[in-house]
Amino acid sequence: MSGQIFGQVIISGLLLGGVYALISIGLTLIFGVIRIVNFAHGEFLMLSMYITFWSFHYWGWDPYFSLAFVTLALFVFGLAAHRSIIQPLLGAPPFMQIFATFGLSIALQGAALFFWKADYRTVQTSYSTSTMNLGPIILSWPRVIAFVVALGITLLLFWFFKHTYVGKAIRAVSQDRDAAQLMGIDIGRVYLITFGLGAACAGMAGALLMPSYYAFPMVGTNFVLAAFVIVVLGGMGNVTGAFIGALIIGVVEAVSGVLIAPQLKEAVYFAIFLLVLLLKPSGLFGIAGAEEVGLK
Amino acid sequence: MFLELRKVTKNFGGLAAVRQVDLEICEGEMVGLIGPNGAGKTTIFNLISGMYRPDSGEVVFRGTNLLGRKAHQVCREGIGRTFQLAKPFGKLNVVENVMIGSFCRIKDADQAREHALRILETVGLHHRREALAGSLVAAERKRLELAKALATQPKLLLLDEVMAGLNPAEIAQVLTLIRRINQMGITLLIIEHVMGAIMKLSQRVVVVHHGEKIAEGTPGEVASDQRVIEAYLGEEYLLA
Amino acid sequence: MTGALARLARALCGDSRRYLGLAAIVVLCLLPLVVRNPFYAHILIMMFFYASLGLAWNIIGGFAGQLSFGHAAFFGVGAYTSSILSVKLGVSPWLALFAAGGMAAATAAAVSYPCFRLRGPFFALSTIAVAEVLRILAIYFKEFTEGSVGILIPFKPGIANLMFRSKVPYAYFALLLMAAVFAVSWLIEHSRLGYSLLALREDEDAAEALGVNATECKLIAAVLSGFFTGLTGCFSAQYVLFIEPFTEFSLDLSIMISLTAMIGGLGTSVGPILGAFLLTPLQELLRAWLGGQQQGLHLFIYGTVLVVCVILLPNGLITWLSRRLLSLLRHLPAAAAE
Repeated sequence: MSGQIFGQVIISGLLLGGVYALISIGLTLIFGVIRIVNFAHGEFLMLSMYITFWSFHYWGWDPYFSLAFVTLALFVFGLAAHRSIIQPLLGAPPFMQIFATFGLSIALQGAALFFWKADYRTVQTSYSTSTMNLGPIILSWPRVIAFVVALGITLLLFWFFKHTYVGKAIRAVSQDRDAAQLMGIDIGRVYLITFGLGAACAGMAGALLMPSYYAFPMVGTNFVLAAFVIVVLGGMGNVTGAFIGALIIGVVEAVSGVLIAPQLKEAVYFAIFLLVLLLKPSGLFGIAGAEEVGLK
Repeated sequence: MFLELRKVTKNFGGLAAVRQVDLEICEGEMVGLIGPNGAGKTTIFNLISGMYRPDSGEVVFRGTNLLGRKAHQVCREGIGRTFQLAKPFGKLNVVENVMIGSFCRIKDADQAREHALRILETVGLHHRREALAGSLVAAERKRLELAKALATQPKLLLLDEVMAGLNPAEIAQVLTLIRRINQMGITLLIIEHVMGAIMKLSQRVVVVHHGEKIAEGTPGEVASDQRVIEAYLGEEYLLA
Repeated sequence: MTGALARLARALCGDSRRYLGLAAIVVLCLLPLVVRNPFYAHILIMMFFYASLGLAWNIIGGFAGQLSFGHAAFFGVGAYTSSILSVKLGVSPWLALFAAGGMAAATAAAVSYPCFRLRGPFFALSTIAVAEVLRILAIYFKEFTEGSVGILIPFKPGIANLMFRSKVPYAYFALLLMAAVFAVSWLIEHSRLGYSLLALREDEDAAEALGVNATECKLIAAVLSGFFTGLTGCFSAQYVLFIEPFTEFSLDLSIMISLTAMIGGLGTSVGPILGAFLLTPLQELLRAWLGGQQQGLHLFIYGTVLVVCVILLPNGLITWLSRRLLSLLRHLPAAAAE
């Protein structure tokens, strides 16, 4: 494979990874702090894509313009979902939570299908198909923007976790729930905010994806499984890990699509997923023992 | 030599929890294992019972080297143990809990049940046989732990703080029970903090501190050993 | 003779549970003959079908507490094994049936052995990954599986071909399958294996300290679970006469399977049957009434019901029901005092 094609593939992979990163960061937050597997995470993405679409359709809002609105909307939706579904089940065994989030996922897909039908929805803007050249490599503008924004958000989140009280509280809870509680941190509120934050990340990802992708009710499932792979790879609850893991998976997907076979590219990252689970369940950056579910 | 630990060492991320410990127990003995909190006593139990693998050294039981044996295999070999923090199978009732132990040697469910009921009579829990294990009070939980381990028909029984949290009457009852178990032919290695009890019970006592064996001997010898007193009370309290 | 009969009658009537159970069995055996409407007959078959799957899943999910959300993997392996053998290699479907079970059992063993050490959601995720990988492989290896196009099973009715014109034999076959898995499940529940699995589920360390070989027990459970799931996969292929990767290995199927056990009550033999009998008509009727035009509505209702059920009945229907039923049973006539 020529250097140029190789470079092209790697870069596309990285760009894809950028968007994966946002989705995964949201998931790893929920997974790492509240310790639940949020199967409805893909549907948060789906919802934000539709909101972006409809605000473009009715109000002419450019997807990047509605970014803030969509993020807020999903944040609120996340809060609502947490209050009504997750919170009552916090003490329940993990599989109950899995069933509940799965039920939410199906319900949301059903609602989307019912209200908006199965047609693919796209947003066509002036820059949807425009590209830029990085030497011999061609990059699509929307993907570059998505990558840059995702990177920016990730850095913002780092700052948030390091320097704000809420951020530090969240980190504390993810490390040791009981100790955090003894320190006076309101666990319930931390959970609530974290879930909202996770949903918001998925929301951002959706808005960023719209210019270069298409929305349909089942779009979430395409991304959520990859997100789980990334979260495990990067280490549960680890935002850096999710970002780097996302880039790795993005590149792996792109490269295996070319090197092996396009139909098998998902199989490759699932295989990686299984390997990680079996060899180092705490992930690349996770703390060993973090794979023990239940609260530390 | 019934049970032998030869220079057993276990590290946890750079911290030596158990360091070069030698231990010998003869058949039929009742040996006490004491030491301040965090001395490594439960770790030693975990190393004997197969929950942990020693980083170096050997555990030899009745001539068989237990290296690499998993916990269930060690149990089959004839070593039973209780856990410091009792681990009842909460959703099963008391007799079913003990049956799990009985199943170690008995294949048939009905026979296992009969065996479990007999064990429950021995430990004095027969009247609570149908109760859900999760509903037992602390003293009963300890007896259940004991019953479960007994049901596996062990030759050596490791008891981890079975008297913690019991009032004096309950302690006296447990003492009688333990003596009866020993008379049944079971060798005992007992971790205990209730000093009066362990000194009364044991023929021999081993003292562990910071993962090392610091003293060994009869209860009288150990109680007057300077190092032991220091370990428990700290140097500032050492009487001149 | 009459003395023995009298004793049997007294034994049966002495416990209201026993004669109710017997009555239920009789009713079940007669239902396939009585229900003639093809639509309702289909629902009946689906009820037995999901009950079998739920019971099989329950062996590792309920008893062992290892919650698999990828059982479709074994289902698909079973469906594809039997279909490839019978359609492409001309093997008798009855032999292919057992081959399907065997292959699925082997897959279950291969998957479970490394994955069982994962706890909770990590195990669940690994099972999902396995099912997905198999689905992708089924699409990819076109020479064997016809890829996304799927395998069409030619309709040649006759008992030798395990295909029938009428739904009645299918219903009896499904009933037989369900009975077989139920029997195995019941035997496990009351045996050393069952108790060991329950103990492992509660506290693996404590169980191992008592001599329970965790790996061996879970592996046996996995093999049994996989075997019967594979058999059911083969049945499905012979009933629907068409298989393709998306449906055979679908996540929705995996979830539905685990749902029947969860709603019915994990770890009990009767639970999955109850769950299947409740969920299947709901799903089929919803799909029939709403599926066509209001496509998403049945999904929405299904998802909402699921969420509501989980929040309201975390222990499953059977615990809630059994308390009601037990008090009801005490009021029923019994010939002899217990």
